[in-house]
Amino acid sequence: MSAPLSHLDLLEAESIHIFREAAAQFRKPVLMYSIGKDSTVLLHLARKAFFPEKPPFPLLHVDTTWKFREMIAFRNKTARDLGLDLIVHTNQDGLARGINPIDHAPSVYTDVMKTAALKQALDMHGFDAAFGGARRDEEASRAKERVFSFRAAGHRWDPRKQRPEMWRLLNGRLGSGETVRVFPLSNWTEKDVWRYLAREKLDVVPLYFAAERPTVERNGQLLVVDDERFKLEPGEHVEARRVRFRTLGCYPLTAAVASEASDIEGVVAETLAARTSERVGRLIDHDQSGAMEKKKQEGYF
Amino acid sequence: MTALTRIDEAGSTPLATASLNGILRVLTCGSVDDGKSTLIGRLLWDASDLFDDQRATLERGRRIDGGHPDYSLLVDGLVAEREQGITIDIAWRYFDTATRRFVVIDSPGHEQYTRNMASGASHADVAIMLVDARAGIKKQTRRHAAILDLVGLKRVVLAVNKMDLAGWSEPRFREIERDFQVIAARFHFDEAVAIPVSAALGDNVARPSDSMDWYRGPTLLSHLESLPSRGAEAAGPFRMPVQTVLRQGVDFRGLAGTVSSGVIHVGDPVVDPVSGRAANVKRIATFDGDLRRAAVGQAIVLQLDTDIDVSRGAILAAAEGRPHPARDLGTHLVWLSDTPFDTDNGYLLRTATDLVPVSAMEITSRLDLETLAEHPASTCAANDIVLARISLGRPTALDLFRNAGETGSFMLVDPISGATVAGGVVTELAGAEPKGARKAGVFVLSRDNLEGGLCADLGWGAADQVEFRRRANEVALLLSAAGIAVELDLQS
Repeated sequence: MSAPLSHLDLLEAESIHIFREAAAQFRKPVLMYSIGKDSTVLLHLARKAFFPEKPPFPLLHVDTTWKFREMIAFRNKTARDLGLDLIVHTNQDGLARGINPIDHAPSVYTDVMKTAALKQALDMHGFDAAFGGARRDEEASRAKERVFSFRAAGHRWDPRKQRPEMWRLLNGRLGSGETVRVFPLSNWTEKDVWRYLAREKLDVVPLYFAAERPTVERNGQLLVVDDERFKLEPGEHVEARRVRFRTLGCYPLTAAVASEASDIEGVVAETLAARTSERVGRLIDHDQSGAMEKKKQEGYF
Repeated sequence: MTALTRIDEAGSTPLATASLNGILRVLTCGSVDDGKSTLIGRLLWDASDLFDDQRATLERGRRIDGGHPDYSLLVDGLVAEREQGITIDIAWRYFDTATRRFVVIDSPGHEQYTRNMASGASHADVAIMLVDARAGIKKQTRRHAAILDLVGLKRVVLAVNKMDLAGWSEPRFREIERDFQVIAARFHFDEAVAIPVSAALGDNVARPSDSMDWYRGPTLLSHLESLPSRGAEAAGPFRMPVQTVLRQGVDFRGLAGTVSSGVIHVGDPVVDPVSGRAANVKRIATFDGDLRRAAVGQAIVLQLDTDIDVSRGAILAAAEGRPHPARDLGTHLVWLSDTPFDTDNGYLLRTATDLVPVSAMEITSRLDLETLAEHPASTCAANDIVLARISLGRPTALDLFRNAGETGSFMLVDPISGATVAGGVVTELAGAEPKGARKAGVFVLSRDNLEGGLCADLGWGAADQVEFRRRANEVALLLSAAGIAVELDLQS
């Protein structure tokens, strides 16, 4: 007898199962690649699911033009090294209107440069299914999310009309105008993602590891200054601090944490001992009550 | 904290690769009044690695009688639920103790959400049923037991809550325990345990109670920690529903799937029950290298020593006790849709990886959720649990649910909206009748019907044949929606 499967083995197998079901049932899937640690795990699992073939779908990155430069470099290298198709989409209309995370409220910026941009990209290419790295442990409204999450025409999510899922059966039959978001990491936690990155020896964006970075303290959060577009408010000054990120998004909207964890073992140790959840560093979630649920109803990933 | 400490003590295990010993999925069911969300919140609060910001949110939140935090706020996620103070959908929560991952699946208690509870229960390894010690067993407890039994739960725990409000009374607990055992005996549970708890105060949830020295059993948490992890029991005949075919060059044609039951080794014979064709396993391939053996829960790719032309929808099985190529099914199902069952509506039956047109379906009886008696019936609507006979447009491989759960369960799908209208289990199987013995008035849609016109553009390649079957299914659906009983005969 072999040893029983560990919890990471079980999670990995479940994710592979979901990838294969979705690829078999949907006409034109795409993998939402957001460059972060969850996307790294997602992509790795996709490669496992279709071995010895390549994943039978392209990667899609919705580029707000406000991602950290190291993220973009990592994205391009990953697609090149693995020989995968990468589609990069930016909401050109939003760009022309100058919508940015510094002058506009996070909710407006997110709506235009992320939510609307994603819908544009999905519609433009006619994707009927999009894999995402969302996890149910991230946030309260995501705790109720399905593995196959159906969106009505216009990509709207209605929490009251979600399809029941039973046993391991996944029903991917689409109604008219419907599309689906597929979440293979539904049952993973933040800790699992780090444990798995370490176990599988996967590279991640170096921003996840502690280094001296130019930072500004604002409203009790540490922001990293990634380029000259960052505007200092009166009384603020840039200071070098040893920081890393637990979650990566657009740089003025993602807070860093002080840390000495400069490699993956260090990050895993910190994560296992962490006292706050990762979305504390995501400023958009705190914008209004029930913020994430509202964003989801509007089509945010 | 527990996981970190334990790993450090183990010393030799590098922290970075530490993994937990398996996963246990725990369903909680009961009504709001029974304190279900409070119990889960309490488990998270006392036993888990809950984050400080989550704890702070709770501390800031409203307080309930006695001044302690409202633990239910950790659980009720959707705005609508917080406003209504009820739980309308299942919610998933994750926490780790030193030894394992717990997944708490919280399901709504109200009768109008029976379907949500059934969905949640189908994912669980064990169910905690909650009752208020003052009220004892209610009709709802019986209804929940019936649903748990339907979806195949084998282990149930009765948490007798609010013992503090029942004077910590042993006689009261024993009375409820006896009532519970009477109900449990009606069903097919392997294990049914009652535990007296106070979720609000934490007694017997994660720590033993100081107020009930008459109780010598485990706390709720220690009981859950003693149960086997999912995937730890590899008993049962080998089954692997084929999800897709993966190729490399001209030599490798791999059948990809997840082992849903039993164990497979290189060299073992496997059979496709529908065609009856057999072959031996040549390779068990994975991204991380070939395996010599794979067991239930593992996602693999099987290469066979002879190409027996199986593809998505087939089940590879051990030759002994193979699934039936079933055409007529006796089923037990829960209706999930707001739209009632309609004999004129075509339905599709989704099995593990197959999607088959239903040619005829008849409801025979409905479970009275008050009395648990079966009454003759011909209709069913949302939340109803019924027995139904289903005839399929073509045979597909199925097991009896009690023998192999994953290959004995199904969902019914509305072909137009795509909605999942019911979830069910197979209780009886009858195979395909011999050719020529078909019932009068049934139109047989054959390969010849389709090849000349609709599918004239398709060849004999694998992709074309998948498309051929898809078109045949769609035609069968349209015909059955128009009131014509139809059977598919796609053998060449």
